[in-house]
Amino acid sequence: MNNRKISLVILISAIWLTLCSQILLAQEAAPPTGTKFDYHWFDTNRLNVFITLAIVFSAILWFIARAKKGKSLFIRRIAGLDAIEEAVGRATEMGKSVLYIPGIHDMNDIQTVASMIILGNVAKTIARYDIPLIVPIRQPFVVPVAEEAVRQGYLSAGRPDAFMKDNIRFISDEQFAYAAAVNGIMLRERPAANLLLGSFYAESLLLAETGASTGAIQVAGTANIHQLPFFVVACDYTLIGEELFAASAYLSREPKLLGSLKGSDLAKALIVLAIIIGTILETIGVKWFTKLFVVQ
Amino acid sequence: MEFWQKLLAIDRRIIFIFVAFAIIVPLFIIAPPGFLKKIDVSLPVQSLYDYVENLPPGSKIMIAFDYDPPTTPELQPMAVSFLKHCFTKDLKVIMLGLWPQGPVQAQFAMEREILVDEKIKAKNLQYGIDYVNLGFQAGNEFVILRMGTDIAAAFPVDYFGTRTKEIPLMKDVKNFDNIRLVYNISAGYPGTYEWVIFAGDRFGVKIAGGNTAVQYPHNSPYVQTGQLVGLLGGMAGAAGYEKVSGYLGKATKYMLSQAVSHAMVIFFIILGNLAYFITRGRKV
Amino acid sequence: MGAFLTLGIISFLYKDNPWYKFCEALFVGISAGYWFCTVFWSQFVAKLWDNIYPTAGQPRQYVYLVGGILGLMMLLRLVPKIGWFSRWPLAFVVGGTAGAYLIGYALSNGMKQVKSTILPLWVSGNLNATVGNIILVVGTFCGLIYFFFSKEQKGTYGKVAKLGIFFLMITFGASFGYTVMARMSLLIGRMDFLFGTWLGLIK
Repeated sequence: MNNRKISLVILISAIWLTLCSQILLAQEAAPPTGTKFDYHWFDTNRLNVFITLAIVFSAILWFIARAKKGKSLFIRRIAGLDAIEEAVGRATEMGKSVLYIPGIHDMNDIQTVASMIILGNVAKTIARYDIPLIVPIRQPFVVPVAEEAVRQGYLSAGRPDAFMKDNIRFISDEQFAYAAAVNGIMLRERPAANLLLGSFYAESLLLAETGASTGAIQVAGTANIHQLPFFVVACDYTLIGEELFAASAYLSREPKLLGSLKGSDLAKALIVLAIIIGTILETIGVKWFTKLFVVQ
Repeated sequence: MEFWQKLLAIDRRIIFIFVAFAIIVPLFIIAPPGFLKKIDVSLPVQSLYDYVENLPPGSKIMIAFDYDPPTTPELQPMAVSFLKHCFTKDLKVIMLGLWPQGPVQAQFAMEREILVDEKIKAKNLQYGIDYVNLGFQAGNEFVILRMGTDIAAAFPVDYFGTRTKEIPLMKDVKNFDNIRLVYNISAGYPGTYEWVIFAGDRFGVKIAGGNTAVQYPHNSPYVQTGQLVGLLGGMAGAAGYEKVSGYLGKATKYMLSQAVSHAMVIFFIILGNLAYFITRGRKV
Repeated sequence: MGAFLTLGIISFLYKDNPWYKFCEALFVGISAGYWFCTVFWSQFVAKLWDNIYPTAGQPRQYVYLVGGILGLMMLLRLVPKIGWFSRWPLAFVVGGTAGAYLIGYALSNGMKQVKSTILPLWVSGNLNATVGNIILVVGTFCGLIYFFFSKEQKGTYGKVAKLGIFFLMITFGASFGYTVMARMSLLIGRMDFLFGTWLGLIK
């Protein structure tokens, strides 16, 4: 099944689930007396949210359409990508493996999705140099996706024979058991490069610190703000927050990702504009603009 | 120069020994009253206390135990002092967990700390009337969404297998309507963030959080916006709540170790940076 | 047993050793088994079996079969020829979660945060609030500029972005401090267990 069909399934599922949840909400909220919640198909109190989403989504669709037509959409080069290439290069020079840790969350986390895209590209680079790529995984759902990403990477590099399924390893569902086992891999197999890209939680410093102690070059990236400080101190380069998504869009040049990134840039521009206008008006005592953002 | 270079290359195990001493020795020392007075009660801690303090007796509070044993040193004291505060105020408590081991922690808190407390014994708390443990449900944030319409559908039976609809305390609880506060004690996902998004902002119920220190900076912006009534962060937050509520427990006991170990870490950071800049300067 | 395993894990601080490896392997194995049992009883039995075959007097809820079928499709990846079926439940999870989170993000992280960032830069008679508001607004502004990917970070624009990264680093520093506190707390808990619960030396 190609990407187009998968996207269609995802879209239909999302619409169907949203409709189902709305119907359930409407049916089951048979209100006991005195209830303060009132369920409708459309909540006029949140009209501002609807308008904002409509603007941002229209922009995303417009950018996607432009990307599909082959129009060039500029994204600045993400410095972290050079660091990934450098890390893989060093592993090649040393003839050692590369350890790719795609975070601990499931496929329903967009960070894991972005990580899988980057994994595919890393696999493509690694396949050319004939060094092992080890991918330890915490969530069962992620295993088939990672297998597919790495297989595709090796295939694109013209080296399907070099793909080793056993290196995509399901470790454990338990967070710290997973961390302990990955630490074990770092210490025993001594990869020359550790790439930690995805959604990380309390295990981030345990992994990054162990990796640093082995002397491996480390590149990390996550959108989990509270874990970024550990990566910043323990890794050679860190992709901060949205840079992870930008990197996946930059690498894949996939119209949907590019369009989404450009759309989110537009949203940021609107927010900056709103903050500038709002702050000026608030400072001179004008309040109506701020009220536009109040949600009941 | 040689000294500073040696210092930079110091075996990390020596630092581990210093930190271990900094933690272990204070555990054997009873903290002086002056130290206890200095425990800080932050604004988010105070506002949670004030909110609970001003609730009328009989109000229903929901506590979500979203953590497991590894984080109990930080989070269990938050649960215990909050529960004690609730029961002293004659509030009704509904406990549950979106983490499998959460409701077990709730039971531990009740059996080992709350029901054996002399002051609370006098209240003669009855299971099913004054408090209930609804147990664990799989489904993470989608359980919260389901609770927004029907709590009994999300948690059909309680921790002991009794049907939720047959529990007296749950008789007039259809959804979040009759819940005055959801207090989420969380060590990660699903946690306070999910409760803010799916319960607080969607259904309008008041949310408060008790987080591990790692989680705290991530969730503190929701205090500034008013999406969280209050927020306890790590052992310091737990000790703050113990102080303000007057139930001194394990968090307060541990604070001396915490303070000494922090001082040790700060000392090593300063020393390390000093060594780094001195040796770098010489090389240049 | 608890003390033996705690000490085994702590022994890693000295260096990797067989005791640590044993504890690590035991932890991984037990947690895998624990999660298997938890998932079996809380999901397969509680969510599927009990709804299809409920206790007497309760209606059967066949809608849960949809989830069961999707779960079965997930298992089909064990059969390589029809393994592609497993992508459907995957798509279902990804799509459903994205749909559920969409409104939440827009509301909780979008509107409410923007509203709270629109603040007066001068609060009469309150210097603390004035400085606080300025830092908040400038920090948010510069941070957003850093994460703008449609423009090269050069010249004045690049300097603003650099200021954004300074703000981020200060935030990370504060966050790091909190984590040190968290890790110390965990260690305190273990030491209390060893010297108090196990050896009985701490009252």
